[in-house]
Amino acid sequence: MADVWTELDEVIASLSSVSDIQAVAIVRRDGLVITHNLPSAVEPKIVAAMTAAIVGTSEMATVQLGQGRFMQALIDGEHGKLVSTGAGDEALLVALAYRDANLGLILMALERAAHRIDQILSRTVSAR
Amino acid sequence: MTARPDRVSTGVPIIDQRLGGGFVRPSTILFFSEIPSEKRLFAEHFVITGLRKGETALYVDFFRAPQLARREFASFGSFPEDKLVIVDATSSQLLLPSQERYRIASVDDLDHVVEVIKRALRESRPSRVVVDSMEFLADRFDRKAVMRHWRELIEVAREVGSVMCFLFINWTYGEADVLEIQGMSDFVIEFQTSMRAGILRNTLRLMENRTNGLRTSWVPYTFKDLVGLTVYFPRILVTGPFNAGKSSVVKALSKTSVSVDRLGTTVSFDYGNVDLMGLEAELLGTPGQERFEFIFRIFAREVSGVLLVVDSTQPGQLERARQMLGLVGDGVPFVVLANKSDLPEAMEPAEIRRLMGLAESVPVVPTVATEGKGVREALQRLAEIILGGS
Repeated sequence: MADVWTELDEVIASLSSVSDIQAVAIVRRDGLVITHNLPSAVEPKIVAAMTAAIVGTSEMATVQLGQGRFMQALIDGEHGKLVSTGAGDEALLVALAYRDANLGLILMALERAAHRIDQILSRTVSAR
Repeated sequence: MTARPDRVSTGVPIIDQRLGGGFVRPSTILFFSEIPSEKRLFAEHFVITGLRKGETALYVDFFRAPQLARREFASFGSFPEDKLVIVDATSSQLLLPSQERYRIASVDDLDHVVEVIKRALRESRPSRVVVDSMEFLADRFDRKAVMRHWRELIEVAREVGSVMCFLFINWTYGEADVLEIQGMSDFVIEFQTSMRAGILRNTLRLMENRTNGLRTSWVPYTFKDLVGLTVYFPRILVTGPFNAGKSSVVKALSKTSVSVDRLGTTVSFDYGNVDLMGLEAELLGTPGQERFEFIFRIFAREVSGVLLVVDSTQPGQLERARQMLGLVGDGVPFVVLANKSDLPEAMEPAEIRRLMGLAESVPVVPTVATEGKGVREALQRLAEIILGGS
């Protein structure tokens, strides 16, 4: 079981090596923390619940407004950006990015990571 | 809770309560698992709890040098070190000199091993004893001899009035042997770890052998630095109709809390972290209004229990409260908080129970959340139901 976290942490490490990404959290769709490398001043449990609410609400809005499948939620703050996206049936991925980050690059990296997270987690679900 | 001389505290108030004040003294406890687990951390926490109450504790350690064991005990914070008696079974294995009063000169001689432990028991008369751990003996010696000595140790511990804990991972014994060992114990604590969709959960199963049968509780737990074992409810849903006082309940119970509210109503959720009575819990307060029900559905998963908040002055909302409970699913433990119970037109708990069609066994606790009245009691009642024990 332990190597699941090792693998997930590798995904986080490789995302964090993208220079525009500051920190990453993998959380569950119901708002529980799976793993993260958020700065210590940030409470991961709250970030997880917020991310679940943001993505849940955004998905609802996308569907209700007839905009097709939800891709990601982008939040712009004065000092930085927050990008949240789905990672399979169970998980969500949220990245903290710097204010002047190259979004295209980040979205590409997130999509790849989300796919990888889905693979890791669905393997553990079926192995249970 | 008043301390009773025939009980020893587990160090976790909410578990003590469940046990009627702690473990009976004297008694025998088996800390059991099929795989390596956190048994030792719980055992150390148990020992530290006694030392801090001025009790003497005996720790039989087959795996760690005494210096290392003492250092690891210190990671729980300070304690009166002279009250901790260690039976040193490692120095002879490592060919090192021992500073301890009780040391086992050869771990290859079962009679000698047991003799030293018995002597330490009789001379130091500890209130708590931990043997870490029995698989060390079970893996080395004949099963029958081990079982015979095991029973003798239990006898001596009873004579001197100790609560004796045996740590045991079963590598070698069959099912019948394990049942026999469990039968020799007054309490069996089994440690289990499971993973679901990326979230790791620790649960201990607490079984009490009583004359009228077995009583079992499932206790979800976590470990905290300097505190030790803490009962942990990863999600308590605080829900109920619009304007019942859910956010106030979350705030009143939490050490830290965050609320996503606009114009005085919760539009997303309230989050609070509870740290009370040896219990840690994450509270998740949902919006009450029907238009935010999709938010409710996001969080209504793997819920440990529900605090259902109703406004005691609004009989018309009780139907909606019932319906919200239905959204969480059947079988989830819940307690009703009859909030705003200080208002003159407030209904009595019994009236609320009747109007909602609830069984007598469902607690309806009067609360005034804005003043923090009744909310702790409600959480405690919920914890009791979750930990169960029938």
